[in-house]
Order: sequence, then structure tokens, then C-alpha cells
Amino acid sequence: MKVQVDPERCQGHTLCSMIAPALFTLNDEDGHSTAVNGEVPADLEAKATEAIRSCPEQAISVIP
Amino acid sequence: MSTEPVTDDERKQNRYHFDRHTPEYREQFTEVAAEMLDKCPVAWSDTYDGHWVAAGHSEVFELARSADYLSNDHDPANERRGYQGISIPSPKTPFRGGFLEMDPPEQRHYRQLLNPYLSPAAVARWEPLVDEIVRASLNEKIETGLIDFVDDLANIVPAVLTLGMLGIPLEHWDIYVEPIHASVYTPPNSPDMPRLQASRLAMRDDMMGQLAAIRADPRPGLIDALATAEINGTVPPDFELLGVISLLIGGGFDTTTALTSHALEWLSEHPGQRERLSAERDTLLNPATEEFLRYFTPAPGDGRTISADCELAGQQFKEGERVWLSWAMSNRDPSVFPNPNEVDLARSGNRHHSFGLGIHRCIGSNVARMVFKRMVTAVLDRMPDYVCDPAGAEHYQTVGIIQGMKHLPATFTPGPRIGDGLEETIARMQVMVDEQRLADPVTVRKGAADIK
Repeated sequence: MKVQVDPERCQGHTLCSMIAPALFTLNDEDGHSTAVNGEVPADLEAKATEAIRSCPEQAISVIP
Repeated sequence: MSTEPVTDDERKQNRYHFDRHTPEYREQFTEVAAEMLDKCPVAWSDTYDGHWVAAGHSEVFELARSADYLSNDHDPANERRGYQGISIPSPKTPFRGGFLEMDPPEQRHYRQLLNPYLSPAAVARWEPLVDEIVRASLNEKIETGLIDFVDDLANIVPAVLTLGMLGIPLEHWDIYVEPIHASVYTPPNSPDMPRLQASRLAMRDDMMGQLAAIRADPRPGLIDALATAEINGTVPPDFELLGVISLLIGGGFDTTTALTSHALEWLSEHPGQRERLSAERDTLLNPATEEFLRYFTPAPGDGRTISADCELAGQQFKEGERVWLSWAMSNRDPSVFPNPNEVDLARSGNRHHSFGLGIHRCIGSNVARMVFKRMVTAVLDRMPDYVCDPAGAEHYQTVGIIQGMKHLPATFTPGPRIGDGLEETIARMQVMVDEQRLADPVTVRKGAADIK
């Protein structure tokens, strides 16, 4: 599983990094999120799914 | 976007008499929300010269994120299209409410200017200071066994912090807190109005004085950023900057107060849940905060103006029509939130709308969350057995603007003071803010406040 944040949709609500700080980094200046590169570790897949479900802007998706 | 020609009656088939400024609306909110969500997630209401009301979660989601067709502009001088901003009905003031009543590109310029003061990294720097103000506020009451969570805690901390971030002396908090709080709940015909007007003028005088003083002798903070700002290639006039400062103060004060008081009241009514939250705070505090935000929705919605004929969320709109985006009702949509009228501290998938959506997402959302969490955990630690007095708890009579509380008295087993009181602490914090230039943007100063 890999995840990505659409920078056009993200508005800096920060729920993703609250739920899975190891998977999402917030920009210092505006709090907008980017996903870490590479595979989501198996033990964090549930957290990644919860972050996707919780994003108010629906900005996070699984990379096919 | 093409639209089929239809008559207004056809467009306005879904009708609902919606008046959020009445006491009945507050009392019957659960029923009103359930009925609109079930029958008419977007409806035309005849109230306030007629306007649309969006209640459904997916409808509000689509509308709020369609900034190309929905305008926030407030144009009291009719220099553009005469739009009325985010209030329904229009407050008839000659002032714009800062960048929340602007569209891009101006709105974007202001956000980019102020974000480095309000981002998660910027806000985290203030946490040690907030803990000091919280500790000192509780000190003032801890030995008596009696506190009003609104007057003695939740009004004070957000106000002191907001002034600190602006670059206004912290001790001025009491010039600002009363007019902001009372403006939200005092009806225009109240006998208290002359006193409130006087306190509003005193606040405005102080605000103008601060802007002038910071311009003459710069000190860090949001006001400094505004005083030297160039927006879209021009220097904004002072009345526009005062609108921005008023927005930051209005947004920073009463909303967090409202969230904190409602959450503390709910936790008093559910002592088992309170114990659970305290014991499991490492994992539960984040989702519980989002759940209180969803359930109580301190800022219950925003108005918009349709800026071009369009079809959105299955509804045809005409240019110039007004729309109320109800964050509060969309937060109770059962298609997104199972058992929407219950508080579930561990709720998952909680994509609530309490900070708005799209380009106008509450710029102070990171401040609100941090201050709320520090206040609530301090109360859980120092007053773990508090009981709110239902006879003394006073909710705003109407919740059209803020779903807030005037008073929330509580009793608890008295405990010892820790350290100094509020006045001394505020004086110490002021020295720290000045010496450490804590109100600089995160681009200039990265580290957290160092409490000595």
C-alpha cells in the first residue's frame, strides 16, 4: 500500500498527521500535508486507511 | 456550466422555513437537522429576503469547495457587485470582515501572509506559554472549590494567547474579552447595549492604537505582518486591516470558549467517559477533540453568494442568490456519521465540517485545537471530580452565529495552588514574549517558548 496527498485539495486540516504522524508530514509554513515516500508499513495500513477516511477535503488516496 | 431553463418555482421545489436566529432553532436543532437531512439536504427558505440552506454532508462538501461559483465577498460600498459577505442576514455594517469576506486573489495573499504565524509548527511554539496561563487561571479558583469555566478559564486563555500572537500587550486581554463575548449573545434591543457599545469603542480604540504603535515602532506579531503588507500589489487601507485584526480576534476568542465550555459540561454529565478520557488521553484526546468539534460545532455555518448561474450538488442556482452552508447540520448527517446525535469519543472517519472546507478553512484551527486540549487536560488533572451546576449553566439563547455559553459554574474538591497567580504570570509571560520574540513567524523563529 502507498498513499498520496493531492496538493490541490489539501487545505491543512492536519487530521492525517494527527492519526498517522509517521505517514504524513506537515509543511511548517501552512500545515499542508505530504505523504511519505514508499510503502506504508504493514502495521500502519489501518492508520493510513483511517487518515483517508478522516480527511475533510478527501485529499488522500491510495496509489494504484 | 450549462443549465436547463426552469422556472424559479421549479428550482425552489424543496422549501424549508429555516430561521437559525430564533431560540426555537436552538431547542429543536436535532429535529430540524434530521428533517432537512432526510427530506431536503438543499432547500429554499423564505427567511431573510430568501436564501438557500445546505444541510447534507455531501452537498455542503461540494458547495463549500466550489469557490469559482460561491463568493465570500462583502462589498458594502458597492464597488464590485454589492455582495453581502458571510452573514445572513447581512449585518449592515460598512466594514468587511477581513479575508473571510474576500475572494482570491486578495484572500490568498492574506492567508499566505498570516499562515506562518498560525501553522501547526508556529502554534506549537506557544504551548508552554498556554500551559502557564491555564495553570495560573486555575490557581485563582483552585482553593475555593468553585469555578465558572467560562469566566475563569475558557474566556481568558484564548484571549491572552490571541493577543500575544497579534503583538498586543497580554494584559490588555480584558479590554477585548468582554466586547467580543457579549457582542455574540447580546440582542440589538437589549438594555445592556449602551454599555456593550462603549466597551466595543474602547476595544476599537486600543486596536487602532496598537496598529499605529506597531507601525511606528515594530514588534513581532500578526499586526506587524499586516502593517507592512502589500496585498495584490497595493498597500491596504487601515480600515481593511482593522477588519482583518477583528476577524482574527473574533475567530480566536469566543469559538474556542464555546467548544471548551460545551465539552466540559458534557464531561460533567458523563463522569465515566471523563475518567476514560483522562486515563486514555494519549490515544483518546485527539479523536475526542474532533468529536466535540463535530457534535457542538461552535461556528455553525457560513453564508456565501452565488457568483455565476450554476448547477451544484444537484441544485440550480442563480447569480446573486444567497446560500447558508450549515456546518452544524452537515455534521449530523447519518450517511457519514453513524449515530450522529451521540458523542463517541473514539469516533473514526470523523470528517466533520467544523472548521469549514476549501480555501476558507479556519486559519486558527491549529490554535483552537491546542488551546482546547491544554485547558481540558489541566481541568482533568487539577479538578478531576468537578460537577457543573445545571441551574447556573447559561447557554446562548440563540446560536445563529456562535453556539456558545455565557456561564458554566462548577464545584470540585479544593486543591493547592501551583506557582503564581494570573496577574503575575501574565506579566512574566509578557517579558518572555518580548525577549524571545515569540510572535515572530515560524519562518524566522522555529523553537518553542522557553519558560524560565
